[in-house]
Amino acid sequence: MQDLLYFLQQLINGLTIGSTYALIAIGYTMVYGIIGMINFAHGEIYMIGAYTALIAITGLAALGIAWLPLILIVALVCAMIVSSSMGWAVERVAYRPVRGRHRLIPLISAIGMSIFLQNYVHLAQGSRNIGFPALIEGGFRFGSADSFQTSISYMQITIFITTLICMSLLSLFISRSRIGRACRAVSQDLGMASLLGIDTNRIISATFVIGAALAAVAGLLLGMYYGSIDPLFGFIAGLKAFTAAVLGGIGSIPGAMLGGLILGVAESMTSGYLSGEYKDVVSFGLLILILLFKPTGLLGKPEVEKI
Amino acid sequence: MTTSVKKLVTAVSTSIALMGAGHAAAEIKIGIAGPMTGPVAQYGDMQFSGARMAIERINADGGVNGEMLEAVEVDDVCDPKQAVTVANRLVNDGVRFVVGHLCSSSTQPASDIYEDEGILMVTPASTSPDITERGYELVFRTIGLDSMQGPVAGEYLASLNPERVAIIHDKQQYGEGIATAVRDTLKNAGVEIAMFEGITAGDKDFSSLITKLKQADVDYVYYGGYHPELGLILRQAEQADLDTVFMGPEGVGNKDINTIAGDASEGLLVTLPPSFDEKEENKSLVQAFEAKGEDPSGPFVLTSYTAVQLIAEGIEQADSTDPFEVAAALRSGSFDTPIGTVEYDEKGDMKSFEFVVYEWHSDGSKTPVN
Repeated sequence: MQDLLYFLQQLINGLTIGSTYALIAIGYTMVYGIIGMINFAHGEIYMIGAYTALIAITGLAALGIAWLPLILIVALVCAMIVSSSMGWAVERVAYRPVRGRHRLIPLISAIGMSIFLQNYVHLAQGSRNIGFPALIEGGFRFGSADSFQTSISYMQITIFITTLICMSLLSLFISRSRIGRACRAVSQDLGMASLLGIDTNRIISATFVIGAALAAVAGLLLGMYYGSIDPLFGFIAGLKAFTAAVLGGIGSIPGAMLGGLILGVAESMTSGYLSGEYKDVVSFGLLILILLFKPTGLLGKPEVEKI
Repeated sequence: MTTSVKKLVTAVSTSIALMGAGHAAAEIKIGIAGPMTGPVAQYGDMQFSGARMAIERINADGGVNGEMLEAVEVDDVCDPKQAVTVANRLVNDGVRFVVGHLCSSSTQPASDIYEDEGILMVTPASTSPDITERGYELVFRTIGLDSMQGPVAGEYLASLNPERVAIIHDKQQYGEGIATAVRDTLKNAGVEIAMFEGITAGDKDFSSLITKLKQADVDYVYYGGYHPELGLILRQAEQADLDTVFMGPEGVGNKDINTIAGDASEGLLVTLPPSFDEKEENKSLVQAFEAKGEDPSGPFVLTSYTAVQLIAEGIEQADSTDPFEVAAALRSGSFDTPIGTVEYDEKGDMKSFEFVVYEWHSDGSKTPVN
């Protein structure tokens, strides 16, 4: 019984962290799906989202507002607006001028952007770890009180539900809306879509804005869940989310979700049953295995040779 | 007209150049190398404020053998790669005495460069035993060793008669070194070590680790590392209702842990150098810090002050600015400093250095427990 509860607890831990990987991975996968480049500055957009949310929360607290839903909504909206404009600006400044060149050039531009944003936040906000208030506290417990108890906190539930809502909305948006249809068209064939009268520049901007907005959601959620943020934390999270995107099949939105969850659970099970030291070994080992045996990822479609 | 202007310009620039040269010759450059930015910058602040104060006060007293001290400050971000870069920069700047570095993992590679280039280094904070194990002639410290701090923590934990203890570390030279020392002490005392495990520095999610600690049902957790990770572990452990007491080395004992962990930092046990700022004989020095609006209570402020003072006294006693002669003077002498009487052994370690166990409070204050 105790073993089962322990397993359940590690599963919950893994699914929580996995959902947030998925939220960040969307940004990588959508951009790759549409223009075939890796946006390495995406982790920084996520980090900026977390900082913006913290500034908004602190500001509201200074105004004496203590009503939790209002604080969360204002923080979320602020973070999404700032991150989205950042995502849009990054694309406009760093990627559009080099689009269509050799594929290494936008990649290098993206890495440069990532370093720039990291150091900008270093300068603007200081390099220290800043504590993030835990706004949602408490949770449910299972199991008898004298032995191991499985607990699921309200924060973890919030993370699951928010991720599910975001993912469902995004899927609906991509499959039903006009912009979504245009997105799919652009991802199939950019040149052809533009010949058919789709404003491809606008669609590409929209992709960056959507990815950044979801990253901002993840920034707020993870800031609250973990409890501290620093200018470098976007880099590691970005790397993990990128791994999740590749694992699930880069370019595929359900793939990003699946990849994120698998990665999260693999990490927490490794820490739980093996040792925390092997966490990254296992997650990146998994990536290598997938790439060896299924190079397109779990749900990715094989690339059709365009002649 | 033009010629006279030219002459004037030449005359002025020559005299400026000469002034510069004369100025430089009368100064002894002291490199101060530590993290100004990065995750452990607050320790760097302590180091810089202590060293600057020492340089100011020594210069106000007429300098060393009539020569003024000049600080050359560099930022190593507590990153071994950056430490090598800034060490080379100090070499290029003609610095012959260095106070630094702070993190053991930075001090180690930087000290290789200093030893090769004949530069004397005094680290005010690095506690890894390896640093002085290599038979270097020019490496000193004004702080104790993990091999002294670990046993103090281990013996204290053992005296509480725990059934099971878990030991976590951040896989870095400092954290793992001290965690190993604690483990060995506890083992010798017959305490069961339920877990000895590393985490990745910079990680944010410790939910799996905390679940594991809960499962292992331990009485105490010792953490070898720095405050950013321990702060998160404390906070996430409180949220997961993990009922245990945490203990850490001086790398976790600063007020930033309170901003991360909040109330969860109450009751944390920390081994720290004794509060030198509370000593009677340091009163005027403490007042000098307070007059500048600085806080002398950090663990590395007065050790850095002492590092500068030792270099100055070493130069005076050797009557030379040759680092090798200064090193010989430091090894043979006995010095009265704000951290007590300092005497060095052959390796460059202090012959005695005390660590004290404190209980940390959620308002950032601390009380000694033994």
